[in-house]
Amino acid sequence: MFGKSRLGGFLAGASGLFLLLPLVAVIPFSFTAKRFLSMPDGEYSLRHYVAIFDPDTWLASIGTSTLVALLSSVIATALAAAFGIGIWLRRPASGRFLIGLVLLPIIVPPVTSAVALYFLLAQIGLLDTVPGLVLSHVVMIVPFAVIAILGALSRLDRNLELAARNLGASQMQSIIMVILPNIRFGLFAAWFVSLVMSWEESSVTLFVSGVNVITLPKRIWDNLRLDLDPAVAAISVIMILATTLVILLRKSET
Amino acid sequence: MQRAIKHPDPRPRAESNIVPMAGSDPVRHPNSVAAEVRNLRKTYNAGTPHAHEALKDVDLSIRANEFFTLLGPSGCGKTTLLRILGGFEMLTSGTCRIFGEDVSRLPPEARPVNTVFQQYALFPHMTVRRNIAFGLEMLGKPRAEVESTVERMLDLVHMTDYADRRPDTMSGGQRQRVALARALAPQPKLLLLDEPLSALDLKLRQKMRLELKSLQRETGITFIFVTHDQEEALAMSDRVAVISNGHLQQVGTPEDIYEQPQSRFVADFIGESNLIEAKVAGVTGGEASLDIEGFGKVHAPVAERVEDGQKVWLSIRPERLVLGSGDGQERAKVTDRTYLGNAVEYHLHVGEHALTARSPRGGLRGRQDFAPGDVVSVGFEPGSIKVLLS
Amino acid sequence: MMRAQSTPVRRYAATGSLAMLWALPVILTLAYVLPFAGVTLWSVTRPELGLQNYVRIFTGADFQAIFFRTAWVCLVSTAITIPIAYLLAYYWVMGSGRRSRLVEICIFIPFWISVLVRAFGWVVILRNNGLASDVANAFGLGGLSTGRNVWSVITGMVHFMVPFAVLPMASVMRKIDRRVLLAALGLGCRPLGVFWRIYLPMSLPGVFSALAMTFIFSLGFFVTPMILGGGRVVLTAETVFVQMFQTANWGLGAALGVVLLVAVFAILWLSQRVMRIEQLMSR
Repeated sequence: MFGKSRLGGFLAGASGLFLLLPLVAVIPFSFTAKRFLSMPDGEYSLRHYVAIFDPDTWLASIGTSTLVALLSSVIATALAAAFGIGIWLRRPASGRFLIGLVLLPIIVPPVTSAVALYFLLAQIGLLDTVPGLVLSHVVMIVPFAVIAILGALSRLDRNLELAARNLGASQMQSIIMVILPNIRFGLFAAWFVSLVMSWEESSVTLFVSGVNVITLPKRIWDNLRLDLDPAVAAISVIMILATTLVILLRKSET
Repeated sequence: MQRAIKHPDPRPRAESNIVPMAGSDPVRHPNSVAAEVRNLRKTYNAGTPHAHEALKDVDLSIRANEFFTLLGPSGCGKTTLLRILGGFEMLTSGTCRIFGEDVSRLPPEARPVNTVFQQYALFPHMTVRRNIAFGLEMLGKPRAEVESTVERMLDLVHMTDYADRRPDTMSGGQRQRVALARALAPQPKLLLLDEPLSALDLKLRQKMRLELKSLQRETGITFIFVTHDQEEALAMSDRVAVISNGHLQQVGTPEDIYEQPQSRFVADFIGESNLIEAKVAGVTGGEASLDIEGFGKVHAPVAERVEDGQKVWLSIRPERLVLGSGDGQERAKVTDRTYLGNAVEYHLHVGEHALTARSPRGGLRGRQDFAPGDVVSVGFEPGSIKVLLS
Repeated sequence: MMRAQSTPVRRYAATGSLAMLWALPVILTLAYVLPFAGVTLWSVTRPELGLQNYVRIFTGADFQAIFFRTAWVCLVSTAITIPIAYLLAYYWVMGSGRRSRLVEICIFIPFWISVLVRAFGWVVILRNNGLASDVANAFGLGGLSTGRNVWSVITGMVHFMVPFAVLPMASVMRKIDRRVLLAALGLGCRPLGVFWRIYLPMSLPGVFSALAMTFIFSLGFFVTPMILGGGRVVLTAETVFVQMFQTANWGLGAALGVVLLVAVFAILWLSQRVMRIEQLMSR
């Protein structure tokens, strides 16, 4: 009855194609046999996929990105979980204000956040270091983790905590034995979103690192700005395929 | 007959194979006080424009081994009182003792009190068995004891077959039983029940009433039960406290509360009542003569001192009004007749007063049937008029 | 009983949960809010004390051109993003099972993919001798201008924003009771009329939040414009980057960052007022 109009369906289909277009367009370019970015004219090659495994450039950046993403996603999830549970348990009068505060990095323009974090890291001497980058990423991704965890907690029966306390559990015991197991999916979602966000973070990363510590987005950025290495196409294809696979797998689960 | 067959006592005491809580301590003191609150006040948001007094100067003692009910409309403060006893809320002033010990400052985990929550609050990530074991594990009981107690509890609530299921796969009644077992397992001195039957349908609710009552008798644990359902309160309790607006209105046995209400609120909230304004027209001995405008004089016993001309209220249960005709006293007009199955209800107008009378169906006690428009006489059964000063 | 020990433990001052609650706000205050103060300080002390950076920003013709261009690009991208996102949200929420799933996949694959990869996809398509010009040539439209220009930037920004804009609209649409629509049909309204007179007004709050969000995001955005504009379509956020890292003009960069932040909060404040007025009118 609704959503069956021909024109609307056609336009929606066109919009969907528009969203997928640039992702599909990249694929042929990754198989070019040439050294520069071009359509493969009859000659196909995997040389740019092989180039990804160069331990000095692409592979090093993948390693750095993985390390930073793992560290910052775990830290962000832990902080967000503590914060969310604290809010849920204590329901402080300042709750709205505090939530607004921790969600700030989503609202503030990324470039302004980048300048602020640049300032901070310059003051404490952590510019262009892994700890400095992890700190910046934690600040930028923690709001997403907080949203996921507050969402999970809002669906949790408040009486569960009271029941645990009532049966003799201390507050810490009830957090560990009752609250955390019951928001485990929310925790996982928070961690996963943080991981992806940190892995892809580019705006702040470009400000606070880039000479000693080069993440994958930073390396892609350099390539896009300077010489359009077809390896970017190869790595894009891998990332697109991985994302598509995860989404399709999750869809088929539900 | 039908009813007796449909609702037999689920577990006659003679057949009970359980000796729960045997030798388990201070619970069996016939006349000791289980819980006591003195001058209890609870104010939310004290000192702000949103301050709200949930409890105002409540004094209450609950005896050991008692099935005690806190009854009142929603928002009256009964749940707040229960939460203060459980340690989930801090009292604003006054004291709260449980078996003599002042618990006002104790956190919930340090109180010998367990609770059955309204929506049960079973831990969804644990099996029934682990749910029941939780409190025992928190007490640091040895494994063997935990296991044997859990088995005994499963048996007590007839849930042995469901021991390894998770709560979300069970019906409301089953969850209810698990919640009871979980709260009883650590052998609390006091069991708090927060409207535990409200989530069940009518039939199951009636069945669980009987089960709760017999569980209380078997375990000998003091139950404090919160409900807004007066029928539930009358059916199960040893004693009932009626609360309204943060004030304790009346405490007594179900019979006391129903037969001898001490205020208009209680008379109206428990069952149905005709409340009629009257003036005292003279007192002789323990009996007062009362003048009802547009009706005439009636006589009723008064317990408290009243003065001539004082305004009082009379409370009369609808089933204790006797309608008649042909005696020359017809002053009430029948405005409506409602057939209720086991009774017939008549709505009457007498002067300015609207009254409700109910007579059992089938002309029992020789009562006649009337139709709207009939003019009838109204009489009161002896002792049916209760004089209320407030 | 073991637990009848009477050490007065006060639950409501439990230090554990207090520490948990405050850890994150304290860290963010130290690592994020305080540095803003530092940045603001930079903006009035570098290269020397005074408001000359702000004077420069608000009076310099070059900056005015940048602001004007930024506003224009953001407005146009928002205006294109909203209808596309509305259409997708509508089919995601209201479409039949298969259609809805397809739309969902189209939204979420780009959503999760790095903004750099997506911008790169558009570079491949739009650069001077890229796919688009090949196609254009094949159709005999050789003169079609592609490459690094303002339309490339807008295309990339719209592509980035659409999945974000879908989410608030879809969440509002999901709350619309379908029985209301059936009731309107039952009252004799034609399907298109039901859409215009019932569905669209009911989904407007979602459109407003998407609007505010899209505009705010596009203001602070610099990765896509820098790649697709290639230095020819310089927007405000990109200028911050350029001032700080290419001309080492810290004070000016910081001042621009502050101006952007103020602009975003002004828009947020305004959009909340608009929404409140809108709610008042619908009562």
